[in-house]
Amino acid sequence: MIAVEVAEILLFPGLTFFVWIAFLFDWLDRKTSARMQERVGPLVAGPWGILQPVADFFKLTSKEEIVPEFADRFIFFLGPPLFFAAPAIGIMFIPVVGTAAIVSNQYDLLFVLFIIAFSALMAAFLGYAAAGRWSTIAMGRLIAQYTGYEIPLIIALITPAILAHSLSITGIVAAQRGIWYIVLAPLSFIVFIISALAELEKPPFDIPSAKTEIVGGWMTEFSGRPLAYIKLTKNLSYAFLSALAVSLFLGGTLGPVLFADPTLQAGLDFIYFAVKLLAVGFIIFVVRTALARVRIDQAVRLFWMVVTPLSLVQLAIIMVLWWK
Amino acid sequence: MTTLDPFVIAGPILVVVADIIVYVAVGKLGTKSSGKGGKYQPFTGGEEQIPARGTYESELFVFAALFMVVEAFALILAGSFASPTNLYPLLFLGGGGGVILVVTWWLLNVGGMRQ
Repeated sequence: MIAVEVAEILLFPGLTFFVWIAFLFDWLDRKTSARMQERVGPLVAGPWGILQPVADFFKLTSKEEIVPEFADRFIFFLGPPLFFAAPAIGIMFIPVVGTAAIVSNQYDLLFVLFIIAFSALMAAFLGYAAAGRWSTIAMGRLIAQYTGYEIPLIIALITPAILAHSLSITGIVAAQRGIWYIVLAPLSFIVFIISALAELEKPPFDIPSAKTEIVGGWMTEFSGRPLAYIKLTKNLSYAFLSALAVSLFLGGTLGPVLFADPTLQAGLDFIYFAVKLLAVGFIIFVVRTALARVRIDQAVRLFWMVVTPLSLVQLAIIMVLWWK
Repeated sequence: MTTLDPFVIAGPILVVVADIIVYVAVGKLGTKSSGKGGKYQPFTGGEEQIPARGTYESELFVFAALFMVVEAFALILAGSFASPTNLYPLLFLGGGGGVILVVTWWLLNVGGMRQ
């Protein structure tokens, strides 16, 4: 039994599965933006270039890993795998097959919120540990942006918890059997997508990694294996946050019950989840390609003046209309 | 009171251990180098007159640390939503309001807006 749980955590539907989803998201992201910009995008590695992110990962890992002279070696070495661990742990609490996650606890949503905060903090540490000019500037931007989007992100994620009277992601998914929470709390879903764009450093909030302004942002000094891991982590976070949106707002694995056999139904639930995951991912692909970067002061102002009040308005509506 | 699934604790540990093992193993694929000299200096982006490295802004870190403490406070209060009365949810709203009040005060005075 323990072997099954370990296999679920490390293989399917846990870490290895989500790493492949992360590669898929990277490919879809590049392909979508290429199509929108009238380019072809990845084409060579694998059919339709689908293996390009995998090829890029292994190419980077085989490159020379340069440790800058003044870098903090301990964080420089241990930072990338810890940065990777944040979304890798988070995905364990997302139900992917059936209605239960691999591991579940009555307060796992709070743990996931801490993981999201830890991820941003780890990125700031990595930027500072690199001891580069551009990465220091980027780290300041990262922290300023983080303090802007974190509050609306939390409020947006707590709203489904209030509706479900549960702080367990599995519990919130189960509570959506009647109606998906995107219907009851559409503003929270929008706020979550906006905040997720900032957490993922995607346009229009790619300010901490703005290539045309500060080279590679906080990743400037990283090369080889650490850079490969950081890029993979960003794509894994992409898949993780999309999966979180699916679970909290789109009913997770829930859908029409077509089979009496639980195994067949579990397979169908997985398909429902996969379709919803790609749909949320696609929203982010399109938005990030369509919008141009804003300045850091504009981003912080947007989050404090517009997005946070929007999330509070939705919370107030929920409290007045739906609180039981 | 429900029993705690041991994998809630063991699962994250397992992931971190597997992650570090793979990271070390993947490290065998490429070479690693460190030292002194031009190659190991911070990247200049091809420019000759690059700005000096930004000064350490301690206020920003104090602000971020305070932010996380207050955030943790609000999240713990959020754990009270299982309560049958609406007293604890109101406390959460108070906590959330407190978060916004404190960070806005910091933002306006010494916080992240002053870059």
